[in-house]
Amino acid sequence: MADYSIWVLEYCYVPKYHKSGVIYGAHNQGYVKLPYCYVVIKGRDHVAMVDVGYNDKEYGKTLGDRFGVENWRDPKTVLAEVGIKPEEVDTCFITHAHFDHFGNVEDFPNAKFYIQEREISKWVWAMSLPDRMRWMMVAVDPGDIVRGVDLARDKRLVTVDGAMEDVLPGIDLHAAPDSHTWGSMWVTVRNDGKKASDDTWVLAGDLVYQFDNLKSSGAVVDVEEMYTPVGLAVGSQANLILATEEMMSQVGYEARRVIPIHEERLNDTFPSRTSKEGLRVTEICLADGEKSKVS
Amino acid sequence: MTNQAHLFERLAHTHKPDCVLSLEGPRPQAVPAPDALAATLGSDAIATYASACRPIYEDLRRIIGQVSGLLILAQLTTRRDILDLPELQNCDTRLKQAQERLSLLATPNGTLQHRAQLEAALSFCTAAMKTFSEMRGREALGPAIDLTGKQIKRAYVHLQAASSEKAGLAMVDFSQACCCGHG
Repeated sequence: MADYSIWVLEYCYVPKYHKSGVIYGAHNQGYVKLPYCYVVIKGRDHVAMVDVGYNDKEYGKTLGDRFGVENWRDPKTVLAEVGIKPEEVDTCFITHAHFDHFGNVEDFPNAKFYIQEREISKWVWAMSLPDRMRWMMVAVDPGDIVRGVDLARDKRLVTVDGAMEDVLPGIDLHAAPDSHTWGSMWVTVRNDGKKASDDTWVLAGDLVYQFDNLKSSGAVVDVEEMYTPVGLAVGSQANLILATEEMMSQVGYEARRVIPIHEERLNDTFPSRTSKEGLRVTEICLADGEKSKVS
Repeated sequence: MTNQAHLFERLAHTHKPDCVLSLEGPRPQAVPAPDALAATLGSDAIATYASACRPIYEDLRRIIGQVSGLLILAQLTTRRDILDLPELQNCDTRLKQAQERLSLLATPNGTLQHRAQLEAALSFCTAAMKTFSEMRGREALGPAIDLTGKQIKRAYVHLQAASSEKAGLAMVDFSQACCCGHG
């Protein structure tokens, strides 16, 4: 029995991203393709998303010109691949405030947004620091925070302080303070609805970029496998490792159940197809009665 | 309030609907940015202007981000001490710094429209800071929060109109972002 269907939908990509950004310490090891994705969770009379991507009107030219981001498509086009309209989305979990995760709230007019309170408060603090400490405030657009003010006024923004159980039935939020960002979080779907679930999925946000963060060679420290954190941490890589351990324990250490959204190889593990726009649609699981969107 | 004081308030705070400083006025359009001007005019003065704009732009960007964040927290948490946080004091310091820097900014030919956007952003930041600070001690925060939100949003669109990635006037620092591939 499964309550929810989960799809990972690619909405653009960077063809060549330096590997050391993905894997801590992987210097001079070349480039990898980095897909940008968001997650759709459908079931129990809800359509939820994990992150909402960015709006190409605001950032498209800069990202295209400077960083080679290609093939951006709007949520209407991307969500249509799984038969959903942006207006049908009622809940959005924002794993962190970086522009490529929180940069398109306007396209989801009927959704309520959840974000960690710490993500806002520590960013405000970071913005107050001297210019020489500017590194600590990268990748957040003040415009997204401005739009957050409107969401809050309309009672469509909820700030969460730490963990929150059953935000939707069987869906929990977990905080990873001072990790990738000051108030990152991940989303856990207990797909059988049980407290001690045998069917748990973790949507990791940017706490895990790719499978290699969960399983890489541990030869350097004389173990078979180990976690290797992502390259970018405003907090610390140690906190990323601790968050990874908690995520892995929630899924009984079955690594395939921790879903990294920047992973190009998701289609090696889960049924996938490429849309006519050249973007990947990956089906993580299907709710009872739901038809496949990739076969 | 006396009639004279009322008249002063009205003159000081009311703008024609099409005035750039009207809260409900039309959304500003992007103006020629220093890098575009430099390409056509090829002037050292433009380059100096662009360089002098950067700290002003950064001050305003930070004020907008901080006030917005504080507004969210004021609305969504029960903390009433937000008005006493050092971050708000820091905004005030930055505001004064931006005012001073803008008053000293030399404006070569062709940059007046650009400067006007910075001035409008500063004006709305100033108004937002004033409204926000005056919330202290009030029973109902709602109307003041709404007004501050509108003012800060307006400041943002003016600053956005003055943005130029090539001139170093950008809303988002992408240098360490997920997208900062160097392919």
